[in-house]
Amino acid sequence: MENNEVDIFEFAQRGEDVPEARAYHVRIDGEKFRIDTAHPTGEMLLAKVGKRPCAFELIEEFVHRENDVVEPDEEVDLRKKGLKGFITAHKEIVTIFINGEPYRIERGDRTVKEILDKVNETPEGYILLEEKNGPPMPLPTDKPVRIRGCEVFHTQAQSGGSS
Amino acid sequence: MVYPQEQVDELKRYASKVGALTEGNEIYILLEELRLPEGCEPASCDALLRPFKGADGYPSQLYFSVLVKSPYSRNWNIVDARICERNWFAFSWNVNVMSPTLVKILLAHLSGFTKEK
Repeated sequence: MENNEVDIFEFAQRGEDVPEARAYHVRIDGEKFRIDTAHPTGEMLLAKVGKRPCAFELIEEFVHRENDVVEPDEEVDLRKKGLKGFITAHKEIVTIFINGEPYRIERGDRTVKEILDKVNETPEGYILLEEKNGPPMPLPTDKPVRIRGCEVFHTQAQSGGSS
Repeated sequence: MVYPQEQVDELKRYASKVGALTEGNEIYILLEELRLPEGCEPASCDALLRPFKGADGYPSQLYFSVLVKSPYSRNWNIVDARICERNWFAFSWNVNVMSPTLVKILLAHLSGFTKEK
């Protein structure tokens, strides 16, 4: 490691102030990352472990204090005394996107009706389409939809029926 | 193709190749390896979109190259229809899309695999 790069975990363990540096080595979920700024946002740190705030939260871990949740747009001070790193946790209330707008919903199996309720639409009037590993495709109305966070949905007016 | 290019481009997300097939004065849209909704068997097949009213009286039709198994049984009332020198299958599904685009028509037909009635 170069002289002007510091590992915040080591300083936290020694109880020392973290000096200003060109880069900071930070543990997130036990994996070490090099961060070029002392003030990254929560979202930026989550992205380092391939996670997004629509499904996960970032939590600061300290040596002698309780953990703190970091909001996605909150700037973290990596030089904060005692900060030893971060962990992530799957949110219980996650964000999904319907017709481009974010909506909060409980993680787990949800009905098509529950999802359409978010945009004041009903299965009788609208088809729910999910964009997953490809283009938006219609979902069956009577099967649960597994919500983990960050799912992308679209709706389209019902316009077909058996004839 | 006579259809708006941006609408044809939207279809390209659903099929490996999108082309035009002409029969008489009418232009059908060939969707090669069209993705089908989850639960369908096969998961993709060639399809022919007829986005205009046909002799059957339906305002549009989606023909499939094979009989598709889906979570709901469908009335496959068109079997081995010869269109553009190929045989096609279609189930009885009437679609009336407000402000129709090619993708909206396609999705309205595909939704026939995902609901009971």
